[in-house]
Amino acid sequence: MIWHNIKVGFHRLGSPPVFHRLCRVVAPWLWAGAAICAAFGLYKALYLVPPDYQQSDSFRILYVHVPAAWQAMAGYLVMSVLAVIALVWRIRTTEIMAMMGAPIGAAFTLICLATGSIWGRPMWGTWWAWDARLTSMLVLLFVYLGIMGLYAAFEDKRKGARVACILILVGLVNIPIIHFSVEWWTTLHQGSTISFFGESSMDSSMMPPLIWMVIATKLMFGAALLDRSRNELIEQDRRKGWVRQKLGASA
Amino acid sequence: MIPEFEYAPYVWTSYGIFAIIVAWQVIQPLLKRRRLKAELREEQALEEGDYSHDAQT
Amino acid sequence: MTRAMLALLRRDLRLAVRHGGESLMPLVFLFAVLILVPLGVGPGPNLLSAIAPGMVWVAALLASLLALEHLFRPDLDDGTLEQWWTGETPVGLLVMTRLFSHWLITGLPVIVFAPVAAQMLYLPDRALSTLVVSLLIGTPLLSLIGGLASALTLGTNRGSVLLSILIFPLVVPVLIFATGAVSAAADGLSARAHLGLLSALLILAVTLIPLATTAALRLNIE
Repeated sequence: MIWHNIKVGFHRLGSPPVFHRLCRVVAPWLWAGAAICAAFGLYKALYLVPPDYQQSDSFRILYVHVPAAWQAMAGYLVMSVLAVIALVWRIRTTEIMAMMGAPIGAAFTLICLATGSIWGRPMWGTWWAWDARLTSMLVLLFVYLGIMGLYAAFEDKRKGARVACILILVGLVNIPIIHFSVEWWTTLHQGSTISFFGESSMDSSMMPPLIWMVIATKLMFGAALLDRSRNELIEQDRRKGWVRQKLGASA
Repeated sequence: MIPEFEYAPYVWTSYGIFAIIVAWQVIQPLLKRRRLKAELREEQALEEGDYSHDAQT
Repeated sequence: MTRAMLALLRRDLRLAVRHGGESLMPLVFLFAVLILVPLGVGPGPNLLSAIAPGMVWVAALLASLLALEHLFRPDLDDGTLEQWWTGETPVGLLVMTRLFSHWLITGLPVIVFAPVAAQMLYLPDRALSTLVVSLLIGTPLLSLIGGLASALTLGTNRGSVLLSILIFPLVVPVLIFATGAVSAAADGLSARAHLGLLSALLILAVTLIPLATTAALRLNIE
């Protein structure tokens, strides 16, 4: 019985008007949650945490750099799950959500690359180092751009979404391989890779802001995903009755 | 030398980039939604205009 | 089944021969790169031999990109591609046949002329066999990856830029392991680990990529 209810609920989400309403109701709450978590996290990160004894204040970049990097990767996983659902059950709302994840994931990848590069300047003395993590993030950015470009290049959006879903799954297999090969490549080319930060040696007082920021980026991703999906849905269904009705009601 | 001042520009630029890109994630859907609404209204108005025109003739 | 595959292969090769000049383009391209690079970085043997593995490989990669846009497009336009689903031969095998002919046209000439290229860039003699082996394992990978990207972009009309963006992340591991192997051999080290990993990639790609390519083709002809 419970299973049946879940199934029905799931199928109802495939209906554009229901999905649209869900996005409209849930997204603001997610944004609000993200704002609260981020405010908490940033306050702690900038004022409460003492400077690192080795990197002094520059390590504070970690609190935006690491959550962004994790979210860039977690976002890809979310897209992969959505892509599988989209390809197997052909649910249009999941197709749209899988596609709308790409620009947000790319945005977080960009944050990660930019802050990593800025962090590298005082720490390594250069803006860019062919560090394994930075390099694989750069490749990840191109994977995201590829997905966005492929989807945008199709006139038939449903077809484009499904083809791009295949690309998402190819990337899912490929990204770990890229990461591993790049790691190997940097250890081959440089005597020793500069270690970013010792995760195990992190002081316990440094952890809470990081956790708050990680939660905040997760909520931001979810909220942005719902916002963008809602717009895409309206744009695609602009000639359909339910959009007309909604517009008539809100106008 | 005070270390905080040495690193402050780097830290603040990083946080600034984070804030700008996240803000764009909030603003972009809002802008797009506004544009979409305007477009849809225009389309609807055009169609309704045609309708009344047809009815009169 | 084999007959359909052989017929497709024969047709592709015959077409390639008839378009003589066009099929030589990958090779011309390879040598254009190999001549331009020394002109750009200077003729110093030390520098050239250090960058030789990377140069040969990047040239091979770019050469394989050339023919990709026409890999499935003509068949889509004249309706042959749809016929692939009506025959009894599994489409995956036809895709493999098409990729094999792509490899024969773009990959094989590069392998044959790799020793010449190696000499031009002063690659140490002891690394030559590794270079050829890495190309033998790696160029089929390039064809497989290129085939996938070309199938994905088939339904779009601005394929070429997109094609390179899609291919770039996929070839990163290939390039790393292949040039790693040649560099190791040039330094007198064993290249076995690199070549082993490259082979593993090939096996993975041969099993998975035709599936994805077939799925992408199917979506694009719907």
